[in-house]
Amino acid sequence: MAKIISPRVGTPGDEYDETAAAEAGINVEALIEHGFISTSKPRKSAKTAEDQTQE
Amino acid sequence: MATTTYLSNPTLTINSVDLQDQCHSATLTVKYDALESTAFGGTSRVYVAGLGDHELTVELYMSYAASETYSTLASLVGSTTTVTMKPTSGATSATNPSFTLTGTYLEALPVVDAKLGELSSISITFKGGTYSVATS
Repeated sequence: MAKIISPRVGTPGDEYDETAAAEAGINVEALIEHGFISTSKPRKSAKTAEDQTQE
Repeated sequence: MATTTYLSNPTLTINSVDLQDQCHSATLTVKYDALESTAFGGTSRVYVAGLGDHELTVELYMSYAASETYSTLASLVGSTTTVTMKPTSGATSATNPSFTLTGTYLEALPVVDAKLGELSSISITFKGGTYSVATS
């Protein structure tokens, strides 16, 4: 669950249901990227670590 | 009886962000492709509804401040979102319906539209998406 930061989205501090919003067609990533809401979940990295195992 | 609608307080949310105080014009057009179904024996052309092809065009004052016009729209170009409009800010009802386009596409965003001595204003159009009306 995310928190509302901008009063343009709702009451700051209130919870923002990302799942329901996404199902309603809201671009949640855009809201997070521009600081309208915040999420405690770590964001996915664009890069993933490669398997360094060698035989 | 003729009536006049004077909209001074409509609400607009784009991607769940309330941009009422930056919007000064909005046109939501509900449109379905007209598919001709005229057949032998008919004396006039007749049509049936095809795919919906709805559009919302809004004019917004541009602001690059936090939580304003640019930051709301910047990440939406080339993607889909949900936009909602109501004639007034009151509760949704049969006389104040809430119009929604879900999964509507923002094709272009004029990031700068400036004229000397004027407030910067942009016009953007959301295309397509599923149209719905709520009355409660």
